[in-house]
Amino acid sequence: MPRAFNGLLIPGLLAVWGCTPAAAPPTPETSVSKAAQLKLTGVWVAVGTFENPAGPAPWSQTLWPAQPPFTPFGESESRRLGDIKNVVPCQPGGPIFAMWEMGLFPIEILEAPDRIVIKPENTALPRHIFLDGRKHPEDLEPSWMGHSIGTWDGDVLVVDTIGTNGKTRAINGVGSNAGVSSEDTKPRLPASDQLHLVERLRLVADGEILEDEMTITDPKIYTAPFSVKHYWQRRPDIDVLEYFCGEKPRPDDEGSQPGNATR
Amino acid sequence: MRAVILALAAVVTLLNTVPVFAHHSYAAFDRDKKVTLTGVVKEFQWNNPHAWIQMMVADEKGRQVEWGVECGSPNMMARTGWKRSTLKAGDRIVVVLNPLKDGRPNGSLVTVMLSDGKVLGPGNAPAPRPLGSATRSKS
Repeated sequence: MPRAFNGLLIPGLLAVWGCTPAAAPPTPETSVSKAAQLKLTGVWVAVGTFENPAGPAPWSQTLWPAQPPFTPFGESESRRLGDIKNVVPCQPGGPIFAMWEMGLFPIEILEAPDRIVIKPENTALPRHIFLDGRKHPEDLEPSWMGHSIGTWDGDVLVVDTIGTNGKTRAINGVGSNAGVSSEDTKPRLPASDQLHLVERLRLVADGEILEDEMTITDPKIYTAPFSVKHYWQRRPDIDVLEYFCGEKPRPDDEGSQPGNATR
Repeated sequence: MRAVILALAAVVTLLNTVPVFAHHSYAAFDRDKKVTLTGVVKEFQWNNPHAWIQMMVADEKGRQVEWGVECGSPNMMARTGWKRSTLKAGDRIVVVLNPLKDGRPNGSLVTVMLSDGKVLGPGNAPAPRPLGSATRSKS
C-alpha cells in the first residue's frame, strides 16, 4: 500500500468525524421521518435472514443471482475478477460490498438531521448519504463509495447511489481481497463506473434487524437490473474497531499466492 | 484435568458458535487437513490485516523448525477474547492448524491452547444473537 494512500485517508476521516465545520446549513424541513430518524444509529453485524437471523451465514446463502444477466464485457470482467492474481490487494470494496459484509466486520450507522454516515469496519472509507434535498452533481467526480442521496418513504430510507469509480473488487467478493474461496464458487459480480444502486433500508423485528434491499443497475455489466436483500442485526454490545488491510500484509496471507517466506 | 475440561468445553463452544473462518480465500491452505503442533512462541505479531504466531516446533528428528501460524485480524480477535498480550515469546502452546498445501511450515490457525489451558480460535465473526437480546445493556 503506497504511503500516499494514508495521506488521503486521514483528512477524509477528520472531515467525517467532525473535525471540520459542516458546510451545509441545517434544513428546517426535510423528508426525514421523525419516527425513523436516529433509529438506524448503532452498530450492525450481517446475519442470516429476517426469519432466521441466527441461521446460515450470509455468505453461504444464495443471495446473488446464480446466472447473472451479464453483458459480454460483464462476463469477461467476472472471469477476470475470479482470478485472485488480477485483484489488487486491500482496495476498498465500494458501497455494495460495504453493505454486504459476511458478518466478519460490523458497520456503524450515525445519523444527523441532514445526512447519514455509514462506517464499515473493513475499510477506512465511509459512505455519506445526504438527506438535505440535494441532487447528484452534474459533474460528479468518481469515487470508491460513489455519491449517495437519501429520502424517507415513510419509515423506509431510500438511498440512490451513482458515481462509483468501477475499480472495486467484485461486489460479492469474499473478504477484502475478493479471493475466490473454495467454498464459494458463485460467479464474481463486477460493478462498473455506470453502477446505479438503489437501496431500501428498513427496520424489521422490532428494530433489531436492518433489511437492505439493493437494486443493482449497471448497463456496462448487466443487461437487466437485479435485486438482493441483506440483513443486519443491531449489536449494542459491539464497537466498530480499526482495521487497515495494508498495515503489514505478508506474502502468505490475505489469500495471496503462496509466498517464499514465512514472515 | 480441570484445564483440559475447560479447554474441551471452549473448543465445543467455538465449533458451535463461530461461523466458518472465511475472511479471505486461503486457497493455499488445505482446509481438509488439520495438524496439531506443540511448541514455544517465538514472536506474536499483532497487526493487520492478520496477526501471526511464529513458533518453534521440534520435527521428528528433534530439529527446531519455525512455523508461521496465521490468525484473524486484531479487531475480530479482540472480539473473541484475544489481546496483544495474549501470547508472548517463550509461551508453550498447542496449535491446531490447516497447513499450507505446498508443505512449508505455515498454516491457518484453527485453535490454540494457551499455557493456562485456555483455548482460542482464530478470531471470527460475532455469532448472531437471538432476537430480543439486542436491547440488553452493553456487556
